[in-house]
Amino acid sequence: MIKYLALLSVAWTINSTFAQGDNKQVVVKYKQYESFDLGNLEIEGKVIAPGDLSVKERQRKKFYRDLYVREDFNPEIYKDVDNLR
Amino acid sequence: MKILILLLLCINVQAKYGRAINLYKSNKKNKNILIAQELIKSKYFFSATHFLKLHLIESNEYSKELENMMETVALKTGPLSFSNLNDDILLKFNSHSLRFIHGLKSFRYKRYESAINSLLKVPLDHRLAPESVFILGSAYQMKEQFNKASLQYKQCIALAEKNENEAEHKKLKQYFAIIKESCIIHQARMEYRKANYKKSLKIYDQIPKTSFRWPYILIEKAWVHYMLNDYNRSLGTLVTYKSPLLSSYFFPESEYLTSLNYFRLCLWSDSNQVIEHYYTTYKPRSEELKKFLIQHKSSDTYFLKILLSPIKDWENMSPYLRNLMTQVRKKIKFNLELINFKKVQNEMKYLKKMYKKRKDPLTRMLISEVKKMQSWRTKHLNHYIKKQMFSFINDIHRFSYEQFNIRLEIMALKRELVYDNKKLISNRSRGSLDNVTRTQKQHFYDFKGSFWADELGDYSFGLKSNCKKVKNKKK
Repeated sequence: MIKYLALLSVAWTINSTFAQGDNKQVVVKYKQYESFDLGNLEIEGKVIAPGDLSVKERQRKKFYRDLYVREDFNPEIYKDVDNLR
Repeated sequence: MKILILLLLCINVQAKYGRAINLYKSNKKNKNILIAQELIKSKYFFSATHFLKLHLIESNEYSKELENMMETVALKTGPLSFSNLNDDILLKFNSHSLRFIHGLKSFRYKRYESAINSLLKVPLDHRLAPESVFILGSAYQMKEQFNKASLQYKQCIALAEKNENEAEHKKLKQYFAIIKESCIIHQARMEYRKANYKKSLKIYDQIPKTSFRWPYILIEKAWVHYMLNDYNRSLGTLVTYKSPLLSSYFFPESEYLTSLNYFRLCLWSDSNQVIEHYYTTYKPRSEELKKFLIQHKSSDTYFLKILLSPIKDWENMSPYLRNLMTQVRKKIKFNLELINFKKVQNEMKYLKKMYKKRKDPLTRMLISEVKKMQSWRTKHLNHYIKKQMFSFINDIHRFSYEQFNIRLEIMALKRELVYDNKKLISNRSRGSLDNVTRTQKQHFYDFKGSFWADELGDYSFGLKSNCKKVKNKKK
């Protein structure tokens, strides 16, 4: 009995599917021409940026020159010996 | 009586020279040493160097007598007489005098290890021992072996002091005093290198103001004060060079250090003023001197001739010429070499006289050899003076570059102040005793527009640091 019922429901589903495909054909149409009137466009909204000009603050890099400082008197030591005799 | 003694001495010298002539004609073994011996006895020391050098090159024999002769000739004519011998010959014999000559030569070529090896073999009882230990200490110092250098300097001070006390002639006393002071100064320099600035200053203070070396160490003392952040004392030490007594001592480095001290005190306008003065006054003068030097740079005699001629003939040639010549005249090496130069000229005169009388081959050959020595010594002295002058010009240019760096740094710091909307405190109350730091041994004098000899070197400025930054208020 159950077997007959299952076979009947499958046959009905197949029949209904084929019946739909025969009735409707889908045709997609695109717009061929569209124009915008930019002069008429209006944007509505609120200004949220601050009124004054501002830049993001950052630490400036500082460069220091190595000013000459005496580390030794070796040239003078050499000269002292050279000037001896 | 005096005339009789002189006559006898003259006859004696003639007889010894006559023996040298006979030996020259003979084929005796060790002929060169025997001739050198007779020439030394006749006081022809430069002529003797020729035969001594021949012996050193040709023979392998060396005796105690020869060592004594080498020592005498090296002292009478200067170690330079033998320094043109190559190292193999100088090291061929176990001779203390030759080791000293090799040590000195190696030091001049900056071969310090080789200098140390040679000078270690010169004994402390040698006549050149004070000079030897001084060079040895310096070689150790150049190699940064400070403990060994310190030991040598201590020995140098003791030996030079002993020789100074024993010397009979004033000039010889001065010579050993200079060696002693040089060893003290080298000790101070060693402490400076080791960053022991306070100790270094204490050692520098041992040099008396009457010393010939004193004007040269003022700049070094000013550096020590700078390193101790005592900019006022450093400026005070440098201002000593402005005194009329020290007018012939102009060092470009002292101008640089002055502007650097002002810079560290943030007295930028003072620093700029020193730099401006350097560019407008010293640089054009040095350009003038350079032009003058370049005109005669290839001459082998010009500078020596100038130095030996009266001052009024050349003092207007260049503003720095007189100062530099004064400095050269005070150098030991120059004085010793000038004495040797005059001695060689004198010996030449006697050889020519001798040749007129005898017309012998020895004298003819010696005239030719001594003429070469005379020419070489003239070139050497001329070169020495020229080198001092060119080194001065180089210093002017070098410190001109360093001054420019200070100027750039001042500009950069001024820009920083503008960006930070700040300014320096500029409390220009100029000098105050409150800003002077001094030790127990340092004096304090008010400067009243004139320099006093006993105050020289003890000046200090009383400037307050201007480095505090304050907010720039809009008017």
